[in-house]
Amino acid sequence: MAIDIVTVLIPGLILGIIFGIILQRGRFCMNSAFRDIILLKEYKLVKSVILAILVAMLGFAIMSFAGIITLNPKAFSWGANIVGGFIFGIGMVLAAGCASGTTYRVGEGMMGSFVALLGYGTAAYFTKFGALNPIAKFLQTETRITNPDGSSLTVFGDLTPIFMLILGGVGIALIAFFWIYKELKAKKAENKAMFDFSDLGIKIFKRGWHWAPTGIAIGILGWFAYISSAAAGRNYPLGITGGWVGWNKFWITGDISALGWETWLVLGVVLGAFIVALIAKEFKLRTPKDGKKILIQFIGGVAMGFGAVTAMGCNVGNILSGFPLLSVGSLLAGAFIILGCWVTAYLLFMRK
Amino acid sequence: MVEANDILDCRGEVCPYPDVKSKRKVKKMNSGEILKILVDYPLSAERIPETMKSMGNEVLSVEKTDNSEWEIQVKIK
Repeated sequence: MAIDIVTVLIPGLILGIIFGIILQRGRFCMNSAFRDIILLKEYKLVKSVILAILVAMLGFAIMSFAGIITLNPKAFSWGANIVGGFIFGIGMVLAAGCASGTTYRVGEGMMGSFVALLGYGTAAYFTKFGALNPIAKFLQTETRITNPDGSSLTVFGDLTPIFMLILGGVGIALIAFFWIYKELKAKKAENKAMFDFSDLGIKIFKRGWHWAPTGIAIGILGWFAYISSAAAGRNYPLGITGGWVGWNKFWITGDISALGWETWLVLGVVLGAFIVALIAKEFKLRTPKDGKKILIQFIGGVAMGFGAVTAMGCNVGNILSGFPLLSVGSLLAGAFIILGCWVTAYLLFMRK
Repeated sequence: MVEANDILDCRGEVCPYPDVKSKRKVKKMNSGEILKILVDYPLSAERIPETMKSMGNEVLSVEKTDNSEWEIQVKIK
């Protein structure tokens, strides 16, 4: 079977490049976002994450009512969601980046993230197809709870699409009023222009993006990702783990059909981040000076790989794509990703 | 250019070490002293000055010195 260039390779790669550009310019990393709530009391990135989720939610609801996409929330297996999510959360603090964060930082030339990515991809493959698979499979099948018809549990059952529409719309309105409008008003009070479009090129390519456009851009990218990915036979929006598992499967087994839409997406992320990091003069091949830190990043990557496959999704599959679909499994996994992140950040950085 | 009392080299450090280290460092320094922080991680280069300001310290300068390298000068309150 050859790779379908028109529906799989090109759209996956292009959307990946756009994803990588937004991630690098917006410094969008969920590990930083969640960790810094407790560590630095810094909320910009988490605002960006929440906005991206709500924009995606509203879009998915509308596209579903319009018949453009079929909603496909992830399964609920509480044991797998809890164990996998928690281990993934621990791993991303050790690896110094979530699945998407680690991927885009490879494009910035951070060799520690590159080592983390090797651990992540390998462990994910071992968990999906290798020696670690029985653990993941046991947790996923023994603790699975579905609707009577076998479909995945969502928070509001049959009414979930309507609630996605309401929650998405109301949530965006609340953010616009309480966070964005307030910031603009504060700018006005300082006699600065509310929207300053001068030096737009410099603002886009030389400086980090504001959290709001970053969040909106990632949410909207999710809509196109859903349509494009479904057309390629993978009915789900953005994801990272499956992409790296696919590359491993291709290199190990030689099976070219493993190179699906998601493999081109993750490759695109690295490329996109590389291009904009070069333009912004932020590309540099660098390593942590302390060899121990590289080892810790590798161990973190391994934990992320095992956790993501066990929990049936990383922070992108479960939080960025799964929260908008209101999947009970994704919400539980996401909660434990955040919990694992907080416990580890507290133990590593906050104890005196 | 003012002479720095101390230099904190965070180049090569992974997220969030530059932030945590610089925060710990300035807490140990005396009022009026100047710390020069070297970072090569873009997010920290943007975030450290803000953290320093919110701690009440004065950010004297943020200078991009090379590809993905920044020099931040902070005066302790």
